[in-house]
Amino acid sequence: MSEPIAIHAPLTSRVGVAGFTVGIVIVGIIAVAAIIGNQLVPHDPFTQDLGNRLKPPFWMEGTQAGHLLGTDQLGRDYLARLVYGARISLLIGIMTVITSGLIGITLGVLGGFFGGRIDDAVLFAITTRLSIPVVLVALAVVGLMGSGLGLVVATLGLLLWDRFAVVARATTMQIRSLDYVNAARCAGASTSHLLIREILPNIASHLAVVATLEMALAILLEAALSFLGLGVPPPLPSWGLMIAEGKDYMFFSAWVIMVPGVALFILVLGINLVGDGLRNLLGSERSR
Amino acid sequence: MGVQLRFGAAILAAALVGAGASPALAQKSADTLRITMRAALSNIDPYYNNERTGVVMHHQGWDGLVYRNPETFKVEPLLATEWKLPDTTTIEFTLRPGVKFHDGSAFTADDVVYTLNLISDPASKVSTPANYNWIDKAEKTGDMSVRVKLKRPTPAALDYFAMVVPIYPKAYREKVGAEAYAKAPVGAGPYKMTKVESGVSIDFERFEDYWAGSPKGKAAIKKMSVRFVPDAATEMTELLSGRADWIWNLNPDQFDSVNKFPNLAAVRKESMRVGYLALDAAGRTGADNPLTKLKVRQAIWHAIDRQTIADKLVTGGSRVPGAPCFPTQFGCNGEAATLYDYNPAKAKQLLAEAGYPDGFEVDLASYILPQWGSAIQNYLMAVGIRAKLNQLQVGALIQRAKAGELRAYLGTWGSYSINDVSAFLPNFFDGGADDYARDPDVQKWLIEGGSTNDAEVRNKAYSAAIQRITQQAYFTPLHTYVTTYGYSKQLEFTPYSDELPRFYLAKWK
Repeated sequence: MSEPIAIHAPLTSRVGVAGFTVGIVIVGIIAVAAIIGNQLVPHDPFTQDLGNRLKPPFWMEGTQAGHLLGTDQLGRDYLARLVYGARISLLIGIMTVITSGLIGITLGVLGGFFGGRIDDAVLFAITTRLSIPVVLVALAVVGLMGSGLGLVVATLGLLLWDRFAVVARATTMQIRSLDYVNAARCAGASTSHLLIREILPNIASHLAVVATLEMALAILLEAALSFLGLGVPPPLPSWGLMIAEGKDYMFFSAWVIMVPGVALFILVLGINLVGDGLRNLLGSERSR
Repeated sequence: MGVQLRFGAAILAAALVGAGASPALAQKSADTLRITMRAALSNIDPYYNNERTGVVMHHQGWDGLVYRNPETFKVEPLLATEWKLPDTTTIEFTLRPGVKFHDGSAFTADDVVYTLNLISDPASKVSTPANYNWIDKAEKTGDMSVRVKLKRPTPAALDYFAMVVPIYPKAYREKVGAEAYAKAPVGAGPYKMTKVESGVSIDFERFEDYWAGSPKGKAAIKKMSVRFVPDAATEMTELLSGRADWIWNLNPDQFDSVNKFPNLAAVRKESMRVGYLALDAAGRTGADNPLTKLKVRQAIWHAIDRQTIADKLVTGGSRVPGAPCFPTQFGCNGEAATLYDYNPAKAKQLLAEAGYPDGFEVDLASYILPQWGSAIQNYLMAVGIRAKLNQLQVGALIQRAKAGELRAYLGTWGSYSINDVSAFLPNFFDGGADDYARDPDVQKWLIEGGSTNDAEVRNKAYSAAIQRITQQAYFTPLHTYVTTYGYSKQLEFTPYSDELPRFYLAKWK
């Protein structure tokens, strides 16, 4: 048993790679379903058929051919709604990450790079943001402005930038006086060149990990808000809303909440696996 | 089904553990009937709420002058032993001696005179003025006799006396004032209210001094507690986990499933309740809103497949009324109504003609079952009307509706179980707070129909009103209600078609 242990691929890392692959596959499948799924499912997610309500999915008795995951309380095809809901979940996840990433990274990099007063201001903004309860703010926003997809993205985007800012600030501080940055500075590079060409590319890997976490968080928050009736307005089939609509039926037609619940679980799991995998991969890269 | 039930049982077990495993048996041993309801009662004072929950509560805690037999619908003596109608605008009541209120005071003519003069006075701001605006005044003609003068001949007067005129104890209410009265109410009914927490719970206890020989009878169950919960799922959890002995208006989709439980029973009974969609034709929420246009309202009627809703969602024999009232009510002349079939193509065409080829957005408030509201929303969506559904509690919605803030809303009206159209139409078309049509002709016809005993004149006036209302598509009757009840099998309970659960008649098996 003298087989050498490969230093560059420790056991944890191999598990990490497997997890990463599984995560990529899950997210990939859901993304493909979200993009072209509604062309493949032969039903419209909005068309109700009151004569054909609460038909169970394929693994239960009494299922209806053509409705693979059954129908909901208004006779709408559950698979079609689920697939459409994936689109909404991913859309909200991606849009929120873009919005919050822009805000958070800008603030964090500026604070970390310049330090001093600017950093104080950024820190103050982060502290202020951390003291704001997300659901409470969402509640107030919906109360004042009504609910809608764009509003959910805006609310979540404006609230979830804190981790981006913290990570961007900390990593920028670590590298701002490294030799290659100083070298560029001595070579006469402008501040914007330093920030965009020297700092950002070198902290991007950390930010990618934050992005996956934030995306999973945004998707879960959207589901929670929709469940409370504060998120995506019906009849848009958000997964959180599907769970909310099905909760009256959970005792006797449990699949109505199980299907979107499991879908949500798998998607968030997939995104988190991708995030963990990224962290492990980048971590092992750094240890080299 | 087996799998589903087992899963339900698993959730049930989880719910039980979560609740600290409260006893799963009905409270037969404690002689307490635990009732759970969804519509939180804002004010238990019977004249200051217009929720069905309020009517149910007042019939347990208060007595009126007369009683309507729930089987024969005949009016029988209650606090009045007899009554005479010397002319068409006078009723003379002889009152029952020896009756006590819960605070021990004796019931006399003063109490009746006080109650009737209070509720018929517009300054008292009762919740449903249309129920009492036919009373002119009451006068005492002896210690135990009262003469009531009516403003106009009122054919359904005794029905109103039976359903919506509980008697206040004058001395007590004057002493404590209206606000304190609503917190510690006193009546003369079979149950006394021992604790009232507004919007949360009401506790009742059998009134031991209730007068013997009442058609309501002495209550068999000693204590009763009514608790309010926010939604149907919570209510069902309470019933299934044994923390409630009685619930009603449960989702008809769960009717058969509840019946499969060995310890529970579910029954249903058609009631006089009509589900409706009210439209702001008068422009109270904005003078030029789309709903003020006739073709838009007609499009909405054409867009909704009411028959399918009645057959598939409400179930249990629900019907679609042509006229905006309950079909058995006197004056609810369906043949006068303009009928609108389900025709989405025509709806789209009407919308285009009205200037909305791409539809429009509208807020739709609702307190009916959320999935029923969603069904309506989807029907509207299919013709291009993008309705934003806003699910509210009954009390909150009624408050906003009365303030003229709701452009469109889904509600239900039970007519206080009075089998006369005067208990329906005037509430929505008399020019009052609930009137979103503001049609002076309809108001005139309703007064005509409500102020004579001549059946022919009444029918003519009501037909004219119904014809105008349906032709103008002011107010969409959707379907009649079939009330569903779910309760513990240890309980002996009889539902009646007047949608008035009589807990004083219930007993343990």
